[in-house]
Amino acid sequence: MLHQRLIEALGEDAVKTAPEDLSVYAFDAYTDGALPSAVALPANARDVSAVVRIARELGEPIVPRGAGTGLCGGAVPIEGGVVVSFARMNRILELDLANRRARVQPGVVNLDLSHHAGASGFFYAPDPSSQKTSTIGGNVATNAGGPHCLSYGTTVNHVLALEVVDETGNVFQTNVDEPGYDLTAVLVGSEGTLGIVTSAWVRLTRLPESVRVWLAAFGDVDSASEAVSAIIGAGIVPTALEMMDAVIVKAVEAAFHAGYPTEASAVLLVENAGFEDDMDACEAALARIVREHGALSWRSAQSPAERDALWAGRKGAAGATGRISPNYYTQDLCVPRSKLPAALRAVDEAASAHGIVVGNVFHAGDGNLHPLLMYDKRDRAQVAAVVETGNAILQSAIELGGTISGEHGIGYEKRDAMTRVYSTADLAAMGRVRDVFDPQRRLNPDKIFPAGAACPEVRAR
Amino acid sequence: MQELAGIVGRCDREGQKLAIQGGNTLAGMGLPAQPTDLTLSTAALAGVVTYERADLTIAAHAGTRLRSIAILLAQQGQFVPFDAPHPAEATLGGTLAAGWLGPRRHLYGKPRDYMLGSTVVLADGTIARAGGMVVKNVAGYDMSRLYVGSFGTLGVLVQANLKTLVLPRRSRAFLARLPERTRSRAVAQVSSLEIRPSAAFWVRGFATAIDGEDGTEGRMLVVLEGSEALLERATRDLRSALGRAGVPETRVVDAGVRESLERAIDACVATLGERSVTYRILGFPSQAEARALAIAELVERSELRAELLVDAMNGDVFVRVSDLDALALGAKIEGFDESLHALEPGAIVVASRHPHRSNLAVWGAVPAAIDRMRALKARFDPNGTLNPGRFVGGI
Repeated sequence: MLHQRLIEALGEDAVKTAPEDLSVYAFDAYTDGALPSAVALPANARDVSAVVRIARELGEPIVPRGAGTGLCGGAVPIEGGVVVSFARMNRILELDLANRRARVQPGVVNLDLSHHAGASGFFYAPDPSSQKTSTIGGNVATNAGGPHCLSYGTTVNHVLALEVVDETGNVFQTNVDEPGYDLTAVLVGSEGTLGIVTSAWVRLTRLPESVRVWLAAFGDVDSASEAVSAIIGAGIVPTALEMMDAVIVKAVEAAFHAGYPTEASAVLLVENAGFEDDMDACEAALARIVREHGALSWRSAQSPAERDALWAGRKGAAGATGRISPNYYTQDLCVPRSKLPAALRAVDEAASAHGIVVGNVFHAGDGNLHPLLMYDKRDRAQVAAVVETGNAILQSAIELGGTISGEHGIGYEKRDAMTRVYSTADLAAMGRVRDVFDPQRRLNPDKIFPAGAACPEVRAR
Repeated sequence: MQELAGIVGRCDREGQKLAIQGGNTLAGMGLPAQPTDLTLSTAALAGVVTYERADLTIAAHAGTRLRSIAILLAQQGQFVPFDAPHPAEATLGGTLAAGWLGPRRHLYGKPRDYMLGSTVVLADGTIARAGGMVVKNVAGYDMSRLYVGSFGTLGVLVQANLKTLVLPRRSRAFLARLPERTRSRAVAQVSSLEIRPSAAFWVRGFATAIDGEDGTEGRMLVVLEGSEALLERATRDLRSALGRAGVPETRVVDAGVRESLERAIDACVATLGERSVTYRILGFPSQAEARALAIAELVERSELRAELLVDAMNGDVFVRVSDLDALALGAKIEGFDESLHALEPGAIVVASRHPHRSNLAVWGAVPAAIDRMRALKARFDPNGTLNPGRFVGGI
C-alpha cells in the first residue's frame, strides 16, 4: 500500500522498496537501525509534501536523510518508516553574488557550494570535516560546525531563509529578517524533528585576501592544550585552531604524507585568514606563545599546496585511523576553553581506565573535543568498554561546565544523556516547540529527546 | 529570579496580564502591551553572574545595562557588539528581547549570534534554561535564539550567556559633508572597499545625527576598526574613495569614535516629540539608496517631511516621517502608512510618540509563518499573560 502510493506520487524511479536497497538507508556513520518501510527520493518540495502526506495517512514515521555522514544516528530509522533522501535534490538554484547569498536544495554537497562560489571569490564558510560528502540539508539539521567556525560561526550564522515542509505536508517559509519569532534559528539544529527543509538561502562569505597556516609540535598534550588556552586568553582568535595528538598524527602522516611531525606528542594546526597587513603580527604573537609553552617546533606552510595537504590530513584524520584499528567511535563534547587541559586529561584517564586506545583530533580553539575511541566491534568486551569510556568522557565534560555535543548533534546516540545537562523543565520547554511543529512525533521520532520520559512534553514518541 | 518567577506564575494563575519592561528604550517598536494589569520591570535583576575573560564568555542578568557590560568588558579588551540605542538605559534582556539589529552586524554578527545560553521565566512561572556557557552547543533546540526578538511574549529573559569578542586595537571615524550629487558614488565606493568599514551611515535630514551639527546638507559617517596597520591602509583607501566620489570635506577623528557611532544609532529611534514616526526597512546594501529615495519621494507626495538615515553596510533604511505638529501628522499618517506598505511590505515602526501609532501597521506585513508563531505563543503562554498584543499579528 505504502509502496504503491509512493510510486504513484513520485514515479517508480524515485522510490526504493527492495530489501537490498532499503538496507543501505538503514544506517549512518554511527550505527544502523531498523529497515525503513520505503525510501523516497523526491525531486522537489511538491514531492516531499506528497511523501509526508502519504506517510502521515498510513501512520509511517518520516526520517529525512542527507548523505548519511551523521555521527550520532540522526538519519537512522530506529523504528522503520519512510526515509526521505535528498540525493536528487542537489541543485544550486540561485547564486546571488551581488548580495552574497545562494539558494540551494538540501542535497547540495557542502564543498560543491564553495567550489561553485569560488570562481567569483566567495565560499560557504561552515566546513565540517565531512564536507566533501555531507549536504547542506544535513548541515542545517545538525547546525554543523567545522574548524573554521571558530571565526566564521556555525551553520545557523549562515542560514538566511528556509523553505520547509511541515508534518502535515504543507510548505512554509522562514526568513531571518522578518519580524516574528526566529523560526529559522529553531529549525537549524533541530535534527529533522520540526520540519523538512526543501530549500535554503545561505550566506556566502568573501574569500580572504591572505591565508597562512602554521604547525606547532609539542612534546606532550598538556603543553599543547595550555598553549591553546593561552592563545585565546591573549585575545588572539585565529581563523582555525586544531589539535591532533600522537595517535592521530602518526595515522594521518602514514595516510597522507603531508609533513606532520610524527615525533610530536601533540600538534597544533593554526590558520589565520584575513588581511595581509595583520599576518606578520599574528604570526609573531602565535610563535611567541607556543614557544613559551614548550613547542618543539614551529613552522609555516610555504605554499597553497602545502596548506591544502595539511588540511587534507586534518580533515581525513578519522578515516586515517583505519590503519590503527578496525573500528573507531567519535565522541563529541565542548568545554570552556580554559578547561581544555583538564578535559584532555579526563579523556586520557577514562580511556586508560577502560583499556581503550584514544586519538584526539579536534577544534581546540572552540574547546570542542573529538576523542576517537579505537576498538574492534567483533570483540564484545571492547564494545562495552568503548561505551563506558564515552559515557565517562561526557560526564567529565558536564563536570567541567561543558556540553554533551558541540556540533554532531544528539541524534539517537545521546538522547538519554540530555537529562544529565537539562532539567525536566528545560526539556519540557523544548517539548513545547516540538508540540507545535510535530505534535504526533512523526518527524524523525526517537531523536534528541530521552526515551521513556515520564513527563509527556518530554516524551520522544 | 525566584521572586520574578513567583510573580509571573501568580499573575498567570489569577488571569492578570503583564507588561514586561527593561530600560524601555525600544518601547517605540511594536505596540504597547495591552490590556495589562501590572508592569514587571527587570531593572532590579541586574549584575554579572560570571565573566570568564580567558574563555571569552560572560553571563549576566537581564536587567544589567548594556553600558555597564561594555565597561566591564572593555577593561579586559573585549566587547559584545549590541550597538543598541541608549546603552546607558538599555538592558541586556530588553535589547535581546527586541532583537535589535545594529550597524556593525555585517562584520561581527547579530546579538543572537552571541547567545550561548539563556534562562527564562515562562508564563506559568517555570524557570527554563537552554544552552550553556560554551561556544559550540547543539544539545537540543536553539531556544536561546528563539527568545531573542520575541519581545517577551514567550517568556521573560532573566539571564543571558554570551560570547565576547576581542576589541579592535584602533578605531577611527570619518565625518563627511555629503552633497546630493556626490552621494551615490560615495556610498558605492565605501560599501565596496576591500577592508570593510565597521559601519557606514549616510543621512539626509536627521540634523545632528552624524556630527552634532545642524545643517541642511547630507552627511556621512564611516567607522573603521582594526589593527594599527590595517587602519592606516583602510584610511588611505577610504580617503581615495571619498576623493574619487567628489566628497568635499572630511573630518577624521580618532577620539570619540564610540560616541559618534552611538549618536548615529540613537538617531534611529529619535522622535520629534509627537509629530514623527520612524520606520525601518531592511534590504540589500546594493538596493538601499534606491529604496530610500523611492520612500522619500512617497513621503513627500503625501505632503509630509522625510528624513533618511541609511546603513550602507547592511542596507537598513530608517525614514523619519514628520509634519509641523501632531495634528497635521495625524491627518495624513494612516494614508501614508498604507501606501508605504504597498511599496515596502516589510517596513516596521521603530519609534513614535504619536497617539495614532496603534492604528498603523507597525509590524508591516504579517510574516508567512504567522500561524506557527501563534501556535508557539499559545503553547508557551496559553493565557496570554506576557506582553499581550505587543508583537506581530496581534500576539
